[in-house]
Amino acid sequence: MTTVSVRYVVNDIDAAIDFYTTHLNFELQMRPNDLFAMLGRGDLRLVLVKPVGPDGPAGGGAPMPDGKMQEPGGWNRFSVEVPDLAGAVEELRSSGARFRNDVVTGVGGKQIIVEDPSGNPVELFEPILTEARLSRPTPSSGQPGR
Amino acid sequence: MTPDPLDAMRLPVMPVEPRPEFAASLLRRLRGELPPVSGRGATVRYFVADLDAAIAFYCHDLGFDEELRPAPSFAMLYHGDLRLLLSVPGAAHAMPDGTLPDPGGWNRIVIQVPDLAAAVDALRVRGARFRHEIVTSVGVRQALLEDPSGNLVELFEPLAGYHERASRGGQ
Repeated sequence: MTTVSVRYVVNDIDAAIDFYTTHLNFELQMRPNDLFAMLGRGDLRLVLVKPVGPDGPAGGGAPMPDGKMQEPGGWNRFSVEVPDLAGAVEELRSSGARFRNDVVTGVGGKQIIVEDPSGNPVELFEPILTEARLSRPTPSSGQPGR
Repeated sequence: MTPDPLDAMRLPVMPVEPRPEFAASLLRRLRGELPPVSGRGATVRYFVADLDAAIAFYCHDLGFDEELRPAPSFAMLYHGDLRLLLSVPGAAHAMPDGTLPDPGGWNRIVIQVPDLAAAVDALRVRGARFRHEIVTSVGVRQALLEDPSGNLVELFEPLAGYHERASRGGQ
């Protein structure tokens, strides 16, 4: 059941659906039109919306009162845990996905930031083994990255 | 004859088998050394300019709970199944070309509230900024709130009756 909702702004609904369902194990829940789709992955509900101008329909992609349109990008992101980060990166790279950085090994795990087709960041995270975690010098240093 | 209900309390005390593995695991989890059980919950990371202001906003104004704050630049909050990681951008987040992440953008967490008008009023009294006030959309009313660093939080209230009829989320 999905209990946490996150909204991402994308330029192309179908390209985004393809990316998230093919590579990141999301399930398509609904796509009523080419402005909106809803995907699910575990407890995460990903709401995709395509920005519209002042003449567009009301909805999550509507412009602000001053006319400013929404757009993809930024740095805030959801994180998905993958069992094999290296394998996931390889698979995504071979499909042409863009990464913002290389794999970073933090105290709690390894992570990398991949971009969806509209340039939104997604954090891929692989927890470090429990054995490694137990060897940490400080008890509070096991959070998944800073 | 009716048995005395208090008899249950007079039963001999049975020793409980100690489970060191369970205790050790619980201790690690309490210390934050173990991630939550895989598959449960969802994790979102927001970048903030001021960690104290962000924690005050999310915990006092939006009902999040502070779970961890192991460093001056990082905190972990919970809101239901949502785990919100707050990071102050620093060297650890720099991209290979030196670019640092910053707050803002349009992607956002979406939080349901029972009474949107009351929530917006209460937040405004406390000085919160809105990128847009309440608008009615498909099946919901929503507002776009900014945290102190300018990150977006979408608040919504389902329209009465819509979801029973359509059995789907808002657009």
